[in-house]
Amino acid sequence: MKREGWFAPYVSSYFWRFLLIIALGALTIFSASSLMYTSGFLISKASIPPENILMIYVPIVGVRTFGTSRAVIHYVERLVGHDTILRILSNMRVRLYRILEPQALFLSSRFRTGDILGMLADDIEYLQNVYLRTVFPSVVALLIYAAAVISLGTFDIAFALLMALYMLVLVVVLPLISLFFTQKRQREVKQARNSLYQKLTDAVLGMGDWVISGRQSQFVETYEADEKKVARTDAALRSWARLRMFIGQAIVGIGVLTLISWASGQYADGAFAGTLIAAFVLVVFPVADAFLPVSEAVEKIPQYRNSLERLSGVEEDNGATAHAELEQVNLEPVEQLKSSSTHIQLRNAGYRYDTGEDWSIRDLTLDLPQGKKIAIIGRSGAGKSTLLKVIQGAIKPAIGSAVINGIDAAAYGEKIPAIIAVLNQSPHLFDTTVANNIRLGNPQASDEDLKEAAALAKLDTLISTLPEGYNTPVREAGQRFSGGERQRIALARILLQNTPVVILDEPTVGLDPRTERELLATIFTAMAGKSLVWVTHHLVGAEQMDEVIFMENGSVEMRGTHAELLKREPRYRRLYELDRPVSL
Amino acid sequence: MDKNLLRYKGVMPVFLIVGFLTLVQSVSILLLAKWLAEVISALFAGEPLKEQWGTALLFLLAFLVRHACAMLMGRVSYRFAEMTGSSMRREMMDKLFQLGPRMVGDRGTGNLVTLVLEGVTKFRTYLELIIPRMVGMSVTPALLLIYVYTQDMTSGIILTVTMPIIIVFMILIGMTARKQMDRQLKSYRTLSNHFVDSLRGLETLKFLGRSRSHSQSISDVSDRYRSATMRTLRVAFMSSFAMDFFTMLSVATVAVSLGLRLVNEQMTLLTGLTILILAPEYFLPVRLVGTDFHATLDGKEAGEAMKSIIDRDTVKAVLLEAEGNEVAIEAESAGSIFKWHPESTLTLNDLSVQYEAGDLSSLKGISLQFKGASKIGIIGESGAGKSTLVDVLGGFLHPTSGSITINDNHVSALTDEAWRKQTSYIPQRPYIFSGTLADNVRFYYPEAALEDIARAVAATGLSRLVASLPNGLDEMIGGGGRALSGGQEQRVALARALLSSRPIMLLDEPTAHLDIETEVELKETMLPLFAGKLVFLATHRLHWMVDMDLIIVMQQGQVAEIGTHGELVARKGAYYELIQAQLEGLH
Repeated sequence: MKREGWFAPYVSSYFWRFLLIIALGALTIFSASSLMYTSGFLISKASIPPENILMIYVPIVGVRTFGTSRAVIHYVERLVGHDTILRILSNMRVRLYRILEPQALFLSSRFRTGDILGMLADDIEYLQNVYLRTVFPSVVALLIYAAAVISLGTFDIAFALLMALYMLVLVVVLPLISLFFTQKRQREVKQARNSLYQKLTDAVLGMGDWVISGRQSQFVETYEADEKKVARTDAALRSWARLRMFIGQAIVGIGVLTLISWASGQYADGAFAGTLIAAFVLVVFPVADAFLPVSEAVEKIPQYRNSLERLSGVEEDNGATAHAELEQVNLEPVEQLKSSSTHIQLRNAGYRYDTGEDWSIRDLTLDLPQGKKIAIIGRSGAGKSTLLKVIQGAIKPAIGSAVINGIDAAAYGEKIPAIIAVLNQSPHLFDTTVANNIRLGNPQASDEDLKEAAALAKLDTLISTLPEGYNTPVREAGQRFSGGERQRIALARILLQNTPVVILDEPTVGLDPRTERELLATIFTAMAGKSLVWVTHHLVGAEQMDEVIFMENGSVEMRGTHAELLKREPRYRRLYELDRPVSL
Repeated sequence: MDKNLLRYKGVMPVFLIVGFLTLVQSVSILLLAKWLAEVISALFAGEPLKEQWGTALLFLLAFLVRHACAMLMGRVSYRFAEMTGSSMRREMMDKLFQLGPRMVGDRGTGNLVTLVLEGVTKFRTYLELIIPRMVGMSVTPALLLIYVYTQDMTSGIILTVTMPIIIVFMILIGMTARKQMDRQLKSYRTLSNHFVDSLRGLETLKFLGRSRSHSQSISDVSDRYRSATMRTLRVAFMSSFAMDFFTMLSVATVAVSLGLRLVNEQMTLLTGLTILILAPEYFLPVRLVGTDFHATLDGKEAGEAMKSIIDRDTVKAVLLEAEGNEVAIEAESAGSIFKWHPESTLTLNDLSVQYEAGDLSSLKGISLQFKGASKIGIIGESGAGKSTLVDVLGGFLHPTSGSITINDNHVSALTDEAWRKQTSYIPQRPYIFSGTLADNVRFYYPEAALEDIARAVAATGLSRLVASLPNGLDEMIGGGGRALSGGQEQRVALARALLSSRPIMLLDEPTAHLDIETEVELKETMLPLFAGKLVFLATHRLHWMVDMDLIIVMQQGQVAEIGTHGELVARKGAYYELIQAQLEGLH
């Protein structure tokens, strides 16, 4: 059922276009066949002595028409076909996006390995072949098959039935046999190729280690051995494909002989004119051209399976992880949410992802009135990300509560970005201009607002040095800029978003100390008056916070202002000294 | 034509076999046309079928021979393509590992993997197609045309004239399509990447509250992409349209002219039919070339991309003799030249690294000396040249100028396996291979006994982790397995280094991305393991420096200061400034 989910709906919604494509496809073959048919008829007719030029006028016109129309129809067919498929792909993309969108905050943890998002996008591209390479050619072949049988039937029903059976070998039997034979091998090749891909990516990413280990040649050796295995299976597939082609052609050749004997019999019986012998024999070749590719088209079916399975897998998972839609409380309009002062409170909040697993956070109490700034520190797995998700209402605490202005945080749903902005470790810069990237924070912003935000983020000098200023493209994933510059662009973006609360999720990881300090200074100045929840891995800047919270194993290990902790906690003192080496 | 083609091993026999088979194939096409025409015209003349069976079977025979030839040609060229493709891949893989991680950084992991896997497949398709197509195009039409001329001058002329028209049109339209593609290539790329870009930025969109409305933009961009693609396709499909159109027109013209001459009794039905059957065959090779054009072009480009990697120079370390001669280092002597023992010295003499001619140097005139076992800290801001220095010391990078003296041997670089085998390397994010934890730990030293692994794991503070894993040391980690935290990854790398017991350790920013507590614990684990080794630690975390025997302060590719922590602080130079900068609060 699920598998059809990515295939069937498009057939019905594009039914008429599909019909047109198939009709044009059939007409293409029809024209080519008619050319040979009328040509055969024409020269036979012309060779009968008493004929004169007028008698062959009609077939001459026919030959010329069919000769030119095939190319035109085929051209139109291909254009219509591709246009339709691109429309379908566009629908599929939107659909995949809508499936993934609700789980946006959980994607990175769910799809850890490899670039699964890129793979899903490729899967959709690949599905265009289902229609162009498999469905259309097969249906066209079936249509031509029917037409051929019917037109033979008008002459001789018994022979038409015989030929129907015979042609069935080409149109159905051979493709099915081929599918049956190759299915397993094709799957093997596909799997083997996937594992080669894994293996190679692994090795290339760990190239430094391989080089240092001095075992490179060992890797190349085992890799090549695996490649050889795939090559063997692949060779078997290819050799079958060649043999299949030969078998198909042999069937065609025997078909020609059958038609010759039938046509000569008909002629001898006086059932039809001698001119039709050549016509019937010559038409076999173009008709066979429609039938022969069916095997290859059908053989491709197993190849689509992976893509379809991956896509429907995403859909099913989504069903499992999607939280029951929370009843949306009547909230103030977005504008009001933005301007009102916001008070976030967590009371003894606890959460775990699965019953039986350890608590990700437990007994967490937090009070964040408008303008308060807190830093959260802890090692990975201490529960920092879960805490942030609870504050954003992306997950609802299993015990205790998380409320924003007295209303459950989770109830804000889609409106959360009006209250809380997030600057994380690697904010995505979209492949467009600097201005467009900043404006994502607020599409209605005027150019002045935009410039003001950029100035607050201390981007103005950088932007003035760019070749096209604000309209300079950032390139894929913001490659034009350094890590610190990317963070500033993202900072300008959330300044434009202008929310009362800002979450900073380790925004300075990977930056060198000077860049880190400069960026933090800019952030804290620009964030004046806003509530801040700052998850950090270093203690630089902790003194600027109203509260510092140390998390360990899901709960608060120590908390207080920087000064208090420095005085009270030797552990804190030691860590702080490492970051700001006073003892040096 | 591709001039590389003739250089591949074993290409000549393939050309000869394919040439021979094509010849047989062309002759069988002639014969099948002739025999089929004979049967039909005889039957048409009223002769009984019985007498024609012989000729009919001959036709079938010729028909089968023709397709058997095609099958054999496919087989021969597939084998050749498979062999050449794999040997090319093999060469490229060897080269890739010789060029090392620097090269990966330039090219991008994804690009390289795609080139090895898909590039080779494309290249193979190209090799498989190009030989039969080239031979087919030069043999079959010529042969058929000569035969047609012997039978009927007029048809011969029609066919002769059409061929250049088809080729000229195909080339013209192909060029126009190419130009149009090139013109909109940039917007094309942006449009086609938009979807992946959106998926990757989904989290950011969500944070901005734009994720719902963005689906409209996806659909808009997809539509724009469609119109752009269709504009290109309209031109691109024109080339096969032209081919179809002129072929069919030519066949139709031949048929009509045959008909007219038959009416005037200037020709027999037999000749007419033969020519009519041969006409489409005459064009078939050209049409096949057209159909496979893009596949062959892609494959050719992939082949060139691979060749460009294979042809890259790997600069090998050489021995520099007193007279200035360069002597290649033999594998047997390399061991003793690069052998590091507690009394060894390593001297860098006026070393520079410049990535591209004309670029600013990454390292400029570095002269340093290291002895036996000591801990060297390399500190400086981003871009000061720390990583480049580590790459030179680790033997990943050949300096552009200067020399290195090791154990009284002058060498041009440390890029030698014998040197690398004495070093262990811990980058900021050590790569965890997909495999068991034990396999990852014994990566440098696969023969290691299980007890040794367990000892290394314990020494690097991984015992708690191992105890918590359901399969202990045999737990799968890395891609597809259990994910480790940053600190744990560092510990695995550390265990790897420890187990190999190599005398030199290189660490490049090992803790910059870790939270401070993890960093502290890791530092406590690491310091004792540094004992008795030559350690290079590049970082911008100052607190490490106190424990170093020697500190090198890098600034803009040069050594700004060298000394111990105490000396440098007393000197109040570059190092002192770095400390002061960190002591200041945010402002």
